[in-house]
Amino acid sequence: MSRRNAEAWLLALVGVAATIAYVSVYAARFHEISRDSIVTGLIFAVLFLVIHLTERRYLPQADPYLVPLAALLSSIGLTEIYRIAPALALKQGEWLAIGVALFVATVLVVRDDRRLETYRYLIGAVGLVLLALTFVVGTNVNGARLWIRVAGFSIQPSEFAKLAVVVFLAGYLNQNKEMLSVPTSRLLGLHVPPLKYFGPLLVMWVLSLLMLVVMKDFGMSLLFLTTFIAMTYMATARIAYVVTGAALFVVGAGGAQMVSHVHERFAIWLDPWKTASGSGYQLLQSLFAMADGGVIGAGFGRGYLLYANHAPTVPDLQTDFIFSAVANELGLAGAIGLIVLYLLFAWRGFHIALHASDGFSKLLAAGLSTVFGLQSFIIIGGVTRLIPLTGITLPFVSYGGSSLTANLVLVALLLMVSHRSMVVEAGSVTERLRLAELV
Amino acid sequence: MDRAISRVFIVGVVLMVALMVNVVWIQVIHAGSLRRAPQNHRVIAQQLRVKRGLIQGFDGSTIASDAKRSGFYYRTYPQGPLAPQIVGYDSARYGQSGIEASLNGYLSGSAAGTQGLIDRLLGRHTPGANVRLTIVPAVQKVAQSALGSQIGAIVALDPTTGAIIAAASTPSYDPARIDLSFPALIKNPDAPLLSRVTQGLYPPGSSFKVVTATAALNLGKVTPTTPFNDTGVYDIYGGKVTNYHGEIFGAHDFTKALTDSINTTFAKVGTLIGQAALIDQMRHYGFYQRPPLELPLGMVYPSGRYAGAKLLSTSASMNPLDVAWAAVGQESVLATPLQMALVAAGVADAGQVMKPYLVQRVTSSRGAVLSQASPSLWTTATSPATAQTLNVMMQQVVNAGTGTAAALTGIQVAGKTGTAQRGASNVAWFIAFAPANDPKVAVAVTIENTLFTGGDVAAPLAAQVIKAALAQPGLP
Repeated sequence: MSRRNAEAWLLALVGVAATIAYVSVYAARFHEISRDSIVTGLIFAVLFLVIHLTERRYLPQADPYLVPLAALLSSIGLTEIYRIAPALALKQGEWLAIGVALFVATVLVVRDDRRLETYRYLIGAVGLVLLALTFVVGTNVNGARLWIRVAGFSIQPSEFAKLAVVVFLAGYLNQNKEMLSVPTSRLLGLHVPPLKYFGPLLVMWVLSLLMLVVMKDFGMSLLFLTTFIAMTYMATARIAYVVTGAALFVVGAGGAQMVSHVHERFAIWLDPWKTASGSGYQLLQSLFAMADGGVIGAGFGRGYLLYANHAPTVPDLQTDFIFSAVANELGLAGAIGLIVLYLLFAWRGFHIALHASDGFSKLLAAGLSTVFGLQSFIIIGGVTRLIPLTGITLPFVSYGGSSLTANLVLVALLLMVSHRSMVVEAGSVTERLRLAELV
Repeated sequence: MDRAISRVFIVGVVLMVALMVNVVWIQVIHAGSLRRAPQNHRVIAQQLRVKRGLIQGFDGSTIASDAKRSGFYYRTYPQGPLAPQIVGYDSARYGQSGIEASLNGYLSGSAAGTQGLIDRLLGRHTPGANVRLTIVPAVQKVAQSALGSQIGAIVALDPTTGAIIAAASTPSYDPARIDLSFPALIKNPDAPLLSRVTQGLYPPGSSFKVVTATAALNLGKVTPTTPFNDTGVYDIYGGKVTNYHGEIFGAHDFTKALTDSINTTFAKVGTLIGQAALIDQMRHYGFYQRPPLELPLGMVYPSGRYAGAKLLSTSASMNPLDVAWAAVGQESVLATPLQMALVAAGVADAGQVMKPYLVQRVTSSRGAVLSQASPSLWTTATSPATAQTLNVMMQQVVNAGTGTAAALTGIQVAGKTGTAQRGASNVAWFIAFAPANDPKVAVAVTIENTLFTGGDVAAPLAAQVIKAALAQPGLP
């Protein structure tokens, strides 16, 4: 079976699962929700069909599992959002449409991931500008400056900046990996690579800390810094970067403790019970909701997630805390299932990286997989009190347009790497020629 | 590069596995204690989405029922606050009390048997079970209005079954407004939330003389006609026992000692029977035990000798002066209105104290009877003969003694007054039962903070409640 036919079958399975989930929510809550929203379900199916057809036309050799995984995650997210706040599900559906458009645009414009390597500095600069823009014209939400408003839309530029930074790092590290692997100068008695090559990486580190202190975006800061360390390590295979990076992070985090916003996050993590009706309320409600779910949960639409006035029992349930909602309604089975889906996604991503044709593609795919997996870990770990809570979205599942569209672009990039490596390895002559023309 | 990439992926796998272990910890291992955490209001909030069962009076009328407002059920009280300290409140914010708390399993539908198998399989919430109390609303209303603005308690029960037909406590509160009024209620020094019938510990004063008399008659130390002489003071163990208002009664018999409530004589009787016999008699009336009412444990106190808030053991030592004062219901003896009503009930029911109860029947929303009261003996206070002797003596209290204000035309009432000193004011008591030859109702009336005697302020209220109870077509 060709890769695209396999994907079609998997997508059909996702469609069946999504229908069951929708019916479950509808049966449990039909007195509160309108039937019109079935339209959302149909739009959903059509949108993933568009993605599938785009792949058939332009990326026929791409990995067949990533898109079904993304579809399954988005259908879980859309169903849960629909269940929590039906009006938001329609908006999320609109964002999905924009995301798919962006996916198609990315495939059509970029065509081959290696073309990005050429523009690595430009893309890196765009990432920086996006972040700077947030700082300058951004609006404060919950004490953090994450959003800019454009034409009535709230956009979270850091979600797109993370892709730009990964592309930049992949290009930069691939170009300089030899130099970075060989210590040539000494600083404070330590062997360090030449500052000339190391400089841009220091900029990245400073950037992460700035995000933390100035924008108070603890989650994105952690995500950027960790991705940066991981990618440097993958490029150079030098554990010293990890150690230094971790040390710098600890120093940075220690300093950040002085920022009250961060300090509070740590205090809540260490003992949410102390402030059970104050700052610890949200995290405790999340744990209570999960504990209520038990092993199998009550089922989609049947958990206790909303008060009578339709306010969610856990604040920010449809965004940062959507994992708690799924864990409540689908129980341990759903929670583990969701984590397994992220693990599978990361596995496919790293699989693509290991089979990629060249250093840039490898680093790009590995970096994208790292950023995706890490983001899932940071937010799930946060709402389950494994690590301090930092508000970022759960990829594909959380309500939020920027995250959804950015992650669809991420999938497009991974698919391009996958397609390229398959063509280089075993593609037909026409396919190879077509690829060669692009670069 | 590939090795480093593989390593990063392995670290990722480890992190994801850590997430899974953590989720197992939250949803399985630690789930129980998270659900029970006092900061977790999810259970109560979920119960608010299920229609709670009715709480009904003995006549079948509704005392508390659920109405729906924007998806949530809330309690309404069609007859106004009726025995609110006993029925209790039901608040998402402040929890539950009284029957609402102790029978929550039935009322919320979570107890076994309240839901059918089909409902359970479909995860459908059926309304909770209905609880029918032994409280008779007509009698309860008389008791509540009789107390009026005085601070105190009235309890009425059927001495032949132990069913409590009225339990009023003032000051009172409106359970419908509990969410708003709770903070003020718990700060109110007059404690409107306190169930004085079961939680109010008062010196029983002369009403306790019935207990002393029971012990003395049982032991054969006295008969109703045993002669005594009162000089206004009884000297013992370096102290003295005096009469109320310093009265001097001169020569009299034991019956007159009870009807006129002569302290010096009962102090002498106390000395005659001694500590062991007195405490033993108290135990046989139910003192030193928590009456087994269907209320939360903390809402029913045992009576007995107290030191501070602590119930003393039955063997705690007393000197002869202590015994003499205890025999007249002072010293450290404290009793709840319920306990003193049970003393009257024991005399009324030929020496047998029936187990007091509040719940007549619990019926599921589908009509199945889940629980049905069956009267049973709680404790034997004395022999039928001694009970009969006391019965006659207590009739004299109402006919020609301190309790004449409790007399009713056409109904022979038997009773005993009490006026205990507490601080600068009195606790006024009256315990009674009627009709004396075939008792149907036993009552205890307690008025706190009064300058009057039990015969003045408590006896008339007892008469009102007895009259209302005997006018009922059927009692539990």
